[in-house]
Amino acid sequence: MRRLNGTLAAAITLASAASAVATEIPARPERLNFPPLNFNVPNAAAMRVKLANGVPCYIAEDRMLPLVTVQVLLRGGQYLEPAGKEGLAELTGTVWRTGGAGKLEAKALDEELDFLAASLTASVRGVSGTVSLNLLSKDIDRGLSLLMDVLREPRFDEVRLAKAKEDMLSEMKRRNDETEAIEGRELDRLIYGTGYWLNRLATKASVDGITRDDLIAFHKRLANPANFVLAVAGDFDRAAMIAKLNATLGAWKASGPAVPQVPQPSESAKPGVYLVNKPDVNQGRVSIGHIGVKRPLADEFALSVANDILGGGGFTAWMMSRVRSDEGLAYSAYSRYSIGDVYPGVFRAFFQSKSSTCAQAAKLTTDLIAKIRTGTVTEKELVTSKNSFTETLPRTFESKLKTVGRFAQDELVGLSHDYWKNYRERVGAVTAADVAKAATAHIKPDQLIILVVGNIEEILKGHPDHPEARFEKLGPIVRLPLLDPMTLRPIEK
Amino acid sequence: MTRRYLGTALVLLLIAGTAGAQQVRVREEVLPNGLKLLMVERHDSPTVACGWVARVGSVNEAPGITGISHLFEHMMFKGTKTIGTSDFAKDAGILAQQDAIRAEMEKEYTLLREKARRGEISGNIYDPANMTPRLKDLKAEIEKLFAAEKEVIVKDELDQIYTREGGSSLNAFTTEDQTVYFITVPSNKLELWFWMESDRLANPVFREFYSERDVVREERRLRTESTPTGKFEEAFEAMFWESSPYSHPVVGWPSDVESISRSEAESYFATYYAPNNLTAAIVGDFDSGKALELAREYFGRIPTGKTAPPEMITDETPQLAEKRLLAEADTNPEVRVRFHAVPFNHAEMFAFELIADLLNKRTGRLYKALVEDQKVAAGEPSCDFRPMKYQGYLEADAEVKDGRRPEEVEASLVAELDKLAKEPVGEHELQKVKNQELANSFRRLQSNFYLMLQLLLYDSYDTWTFLNEGPKRVQAVTAADIQRVAQKYLTKENRNVATYLRKAGSAAEDPELAALPAEVKGMIKQQLAQIIQMTDRGKLEQAVTRMRQMSAKVPEEMKPAFDYLVKKAQGHLDSLPAAPEKGNAEQKTPPTGEKPKA
Repeated sequence: MRRLNGTLAAAITLASAASAVATEIPARPERLNFPPLNFNVPNAAAMRVKLANGVPCYIAEDRMLPLVTVQVLLRGGQYLEPAGKEGLAELTGTVWRTGGAGKLEAKALDEELDFLAASLTASVRGVSGTVSLNLLSKDIDRGLSLLMDVLREPRFDEVRLAKAKEDMLSEMKRRNDETEAIEGRELDRLIYGTGYWLNRLATKASVDGITRDDLIAFHKRLANPANFVLAVAGDFDRAAMIAKLNATLGAWKASGPAVPQVPQPSESAKPGVYLVNKPDVNQGRVSIGHIGVKRPLADEFALSVANDILGGGGFTAWMMSRVRSDEGLAYSAYSRYSIGDVYPGVFRAFFQSKSSTCAQAAKLTTDLIAKIRTGTVTEKELVTSKNSFTETLPRTFESKLKTVGRFAQDELVGLSHDYWKNYRERVGAVTAADVAKAATAHIKPDQLIILVVGNIEEILKGHPDHPEARFEKLGPIVRLPLLDPMTLRPIEK
Repeated sequence: MTRRYLGTALVLLLIAGTAGAQQVRVREEVLPNGLKLLMVERHDSPTVACGWVARVGSVNEAPGITGISHLFEHMMFKGTKTIGTSDFAKDAGILAQQDAIRAEMEKEYTLLREKARRGEISGNIYDPANMTPRLKDLKAEIEKLFAAEKEVIVKDELDQIYTREGGSSLNAFTTEDQTVYFITVPSNKLELWFWMESDRLANPVFREFYSERDVVREERRLRTESTPTGKFEEAFEAMFWESSPYSHPVVGWPSDVESISRSEAESYFATYYAPNNLTAAIVGDFDSGKALELAREYFGRIPTGKTAPPEMITDETPQLAEKRLLAEADTNPEVRVRFHAVPFNHAEMFAFELIADLLNKRTGRLYKALVEDQKVAAGEPSCDFRPMKYQGYLEADAEVKDGRRPEEVEASLVAELDKLAKEPVGEHELQKVKNQELANSFRRLQSNFYLMLQLLLYDSYDTWTFLNEGPKRVQAVTAADIQRVAQKYLTKENRNVATYLRKAGSAAEDPELAALPAEVKGMIKQQLAQIIQMTDRGKLEQAVTRMRQMSAKVPEEMKPAFDYLVKKAQGHLDSLPAAPEKGNAEQKTPPTGEKPKA
């Protein structure tokens, strides 16, 4: 039986206030009829203005709540750290905000912002940073003034720098406490190579050697309007807000060229099974993957669909279905294929399982990795996966803040606005053959790096019921020493 | 039917101006079967955040079935008579056979439990080593039935259908007090949500029941057993709560999770998942009139429960004396001080919220006292007030700074809490935290999903109207209220302290020590361990003086190692109290909060 359309059904049921069942409920959800979805990707060009100093700014009014957000996204980050000064990017990000600004000393700045109930944060990450203000719209003028002080004239107070260094060392001590942290660090080292900027991590010696002058110099490189893209949304009149921004940030002239390009990685570790021993846990963490790719990528969406079906899609994906639902070997089992914007991403399938079943789950996973390349994706899997991209697109633009933030981030890394305009069409065009082709091109079973962190002696024993599943069969075994958290030198036995 | 329609359909949110708290226009409807529906229209984006809550959590569990709420949450994704199977009749037959074998297995486990009590077997009764021949046979049989079940199962079909139709963030969570199920759907697919959710509430089938336990065991390993502090946090809860069922973990005690049967799950469902025990909430781009019709049609088909869910009546017995837990883990030294407080929406809750605010952030009292003035804590100490349905607590945490002792941190935390009881908070400071509460009450409304979640949480704790009333009541709190609450609750008798020390051998090696030659390192470590245990300031002073006098005579190759030792000894000496009182010189805890290395 077909369903009455929504309006008619509502009219009928509204007429009978007692509201008995107006229509018969269809036996299966596939028999429901849905009205078309009215959704167009917001127009990025219409949200974009150029401030007087040339800084691109995505701006949108949102009058629902009396709040304003101003985000300054900036290029530059950890990859710019001079050798021996590892940790400088993070420290600059922290003390940028905590160290006072303009006429206000560190404590005075904190007090004023907290009394205004304003959030003003700064952080510097791998290749980009953010200085962000969120506060009640009534306080926007004072907020912008404080934001400008923080951006241009941070004081980098010595006491707060000392505190940030202490906290960094304190956090450093935790580096081997959680198997998850060990796994993340070692996987990056294997995939990008230990010499890549991503893996040049802070040590006690490098942090001890960082001075206030280092922060001032690093800030100078980043805090340059040539590096900025803005995202602004909230409770304001658009024209008035643009005028305010032009009078403040827009009046700041660029000081020289933008930061240089991000270097590319050179060499991964050899394929193999890498083991890190953490004997006091009863669950092993396993990551299986290799270096990925970066945009522009003609078959990006075919690859994304391939990963989604393999393990990205959660319960609709093969990994969760086999490793979790069928076998009960893990609580979470996923794959990710991150496609980089400025440096290559990573392909990674991962799960956590009790020691005795890590090998069994790893075998299931490598089998599925091989399978995704052979073109065995069903039509149903293909449709489910493609819809999971196209039908959820509105969520990317769910609020004005998310929308301007998305567009600003895209411009920061050089992603064209056409990406979102053509998104649904490009995903829609992906065929099962495209999926196999993209998987074959970008997922390489002979290049797999398998990393296992846990109680290695127990994990290598495997399970008596599954003698066929052994890590020795998945590649040459390499035991990695745990690294000392403060020096990152191998810990001797 | 209750009808409580606030405002018109077009005016969704009235901004009462920045001086006052936000009033969210919520349309509340109660269906004849007792299910409550809360609706907020917001037409910014063509999506709807949808969810419902069952007013049941681990607090409702008796010994023997702890963990059932959470296990059950997993079962709600296994399908219905229609979803998740290609042949329901066959499926039901297989499930019945599984239950019969499982009952036989339980008899064997009963025997094994007896043997374990008598000490005739060692370890866990579920260890493969303890398996009896009869159990082996039964296990082989039930595994055949699992395989047969797989043939008629349509894997994770609930997820498949939602995903195909553009649903995202499909998930659920279980707490001590509630179980929440949620998803975001495109606005044209709201009827799908009504279809799917009413189907799993009206016709659920708990398939893969016994194999799902393996998944839950992995979840427990992931969250509790294989994290540095998970096990101890569980132990702290068990110590903190005495009579209240909040004492057992949401994930359940392992023994109980292993033995819960499908029939226990079915009776649990009939009691707690009846529509009279549920609230649903939808927030986003839809028409509430039409949504109400869909609710009547779909949720209306779920029968009212035969019996009302039993009231949870076990009160927490008043604490008589301070309780302490000392844990050694792979973690930085830390102190947590926790007090029994009040439940959600209690008249005194709002003063507690402000107490937490007064203590938090860099301009808060804990940072100023413990980090800036006394320099005993690392990071940013924090305070958390957690009101639950029947009880609540306030906890202040601080990480011990390198070279300081947990006792110092504890004393400072307690001193700051005592100060709240001794002196009324100043006007400017009180206004600061009220300003923060007000701004945060707006920030909490930014996302449809989070608003939907708040409506469900508040309504399952007490009432959704807290969303609009809570922020106003916070603004009405006075300095006298705060002082009175602090005096009443932040007392020694009501205090619980958890101290975490870094487990021996898990600490980072001091880089200076690491740089020394391997052959002298062992010796230096031994010496250090002895020095660190010295607590008599006088004796240590003498030792350091002697060492300095010897310094010139030390061979050149041993010089770096010797200097290192002297430096560490001096550092330890500096950290000892200046003038120890007689009889109080013995300190049980080493100065750095770290166990000496063996």
